[in-house]
Amino acid sequence: MKVALLLERRREQWHELESLCRLMERRGPRPLGGAKVSRFASLYRGACADLALADAYQLPLDTVEYLHQLVGRAHNQLYRSQTFRWRQWGRTMFVELPRKLVRDRALWLAFAIFWGIFALSLYLAYTSREYADKAIGQAAMESYRENFSRPIRGRPGGMDSAMTGFYVQHNAGIGLRCFAGGLLFGIGGLFTVVFNAMQLGATFGYMLTLEERVNFLQFVTAHGPFELTAIVFSAGAGMRLGFSLVTTGGLSRAASLRQAAIEASPMMGAAVILFCLAAMIEGFISPSALPYAVKAGVAVLSTVILAFYVIGLGLLRRD
Amino acid sequence: MSKLPRQLDSRIEIVTPENIAFAYVLAGPFRRLPAFLIDFAIRAAVLFLLAMGCLVLSVASLSGIGLGVFLVVWFVLSWFYGGLFETFWNGQTPGKRLLGLRVLSIDGQPINALQAVLRNVLRDVDALPLALSVVPLYMLALATMTANNRFQRLGDLASGTIVVVEKRSKLRGLVMMNRPEVVAFAQTLPVGFVASRAMSHALSTYVARRELFSAPRRFEIARNLAEPLCLRWGLPIDTNPDLLLSALYYRTFIADRPGHEPTLRAPVAVPVEVASP
Repeated sequence: MKVALLLERRREQWHELESLCRLMERRGPRPLGGAKVSRFASLYRGACADLALADAYQLPLDTVEYLHQLVGRAHNQLYRSQTFRWRQWGRTMFVELPRKLVRDRALWLAFAIFWGIFALSLYLAYTSREYADKAIGQAAMESYRENFSRPIRGRPGGMDSAMTGFYVQHNAGIGLRCFAGGLLFGIGGLFTVVFNAMQLGATFGYMLTLEERVNFLQFVTAHGPFELTAIVFSAGAGMRLGFSLVTTGGLSRAASLRQAAIEASPMMGAAVILFCLAAMIEGFISPSALPYAVKAGVAVLSTVILAFYVIGLGLLRRD
Repeated sequence: MSKLPRQLDSRIEIVTPENIAFAYVLAGPFRRLPAFLIDFAIRAAVLFLLAMGCLVLSVASLSGIGLGVFLVVWFVLSWFYGGLFETFWNGQTPGKRLLGLRVLSIDGQPINALQAVLRNVLRDVDALPLALSVVPLYMLALATMTANNRFQRLGDLASGTIVVVEKRSKLRGLVMMNRPEVVAFAQTLPVGFVASRAMSHALSTYVARRELFSAPRRFEIARNLAEPLCLRWGLPIDTNPDLLLSALYYRTFIADRPGHEPTLRAPVAVPVEVASP
């Protein structure tokens, strides 16, 4: 058979496939109905066969080019992206992740670095005004002192939700940046976590030397556990990415990075959730006029939840 | 695929589950930049409109809630805009869709939600360094793209994705070569002539473009192939080269030789009626 005849025969089928592709691109496969989808599949197989036999048919170059595009286009409609699978994500977050957390050495390292530097910075700022000066700066020190000079009695109306939004945007943003920065051989994440630990520690140390420490503790107690854990999680997830580029375990660096990214992502997801929870507490509970016992109760409850997550779901659970 | 010359860059071959290899053109940094700018403009427009809405709310003394919503939307748009669109739009954001780009896994399969979100979160590193500590220069992404052969930025490397061009071209088909002198001349060619693969390439490429050239230029181009053929087949040396190639094209692609038609099974299956559930 000559090419002209062949093209004449196939042309209609290719055009039909093209128009089905266009429909699916616009509205997805659902409105097409079973018969059309099945027709699409057989037309796709037909186009595949034509492409495979392009050599034998001696098709002209531009027809081959057209077929490549047609098959690619149909391929992308046939094999579509998988959206969130909630059941699988539930399993990842509540079964697999807690078990991994305890064994994750990157997380332990992030934990040690954060709390180590935090404690050191707190001690230095508590004992030496000069250190606090250098670490957080005169202006910031003054504004902290100013902010906590009055007893905490709640914010003016509506500002609670504004501040919640701000904490989500700002703190979760820092966490994600810390995670992404881990990609630079862990240095970016390391920098963020060291910097934040140093700043937070110095602020705590400095505030504890002042009269205003009562108000300060009133404010920070409730959201502390979730927020500080979230920082450690995002730093740990970031370091996991960075270390995978250094210790590849026999894989190529790209493959090692891909594997680490899949492993680290649930931890970063948990960190974002914790940041959001902390933001809500920090927005609505921490600045409110509730008695200190309630705020301490929130802190204890969130610590218990975290402990249950890591120890109860992770260490102790058996299948 | 073996028909096409093997190119050095920007084409990748994907083998489908149907065991067919087809080729994609990879999207380089300068195809992806306009898509990024479109997406950026969309995000900026949404935030601008939202800010206007917040101003209206603040008149109704709801400024706190409005500001809170604005900040959360800002957070979601700046970190998850691309990830959510690429998850639910099959690897495309509005900008990518407008410019015909799509994100795929490196093995040619569609991406999943994790890959889509991850590659867009890690964009933060790709955007480094920042000019004036706000304007992303994407130099790291550019450097990474030039260092691997799939134009992947760091986020792509970590999530195992590539960006490809989905070109749309029309089927042009054959050039109808039925001028009487061509058909007549085609009958005088040797009966046993079968075009080789390279020959049919050359013929189809030449005839698809010959309309663009003036007659002397056609003569000049066609002579390179026509002269050796004239010598081999003992045709007169003053044969018009353009006429010879046109006749060969006619013989190869259009006219059947009697008695040599291979029967082809139509590769298209009959559609089955699917009972609706």
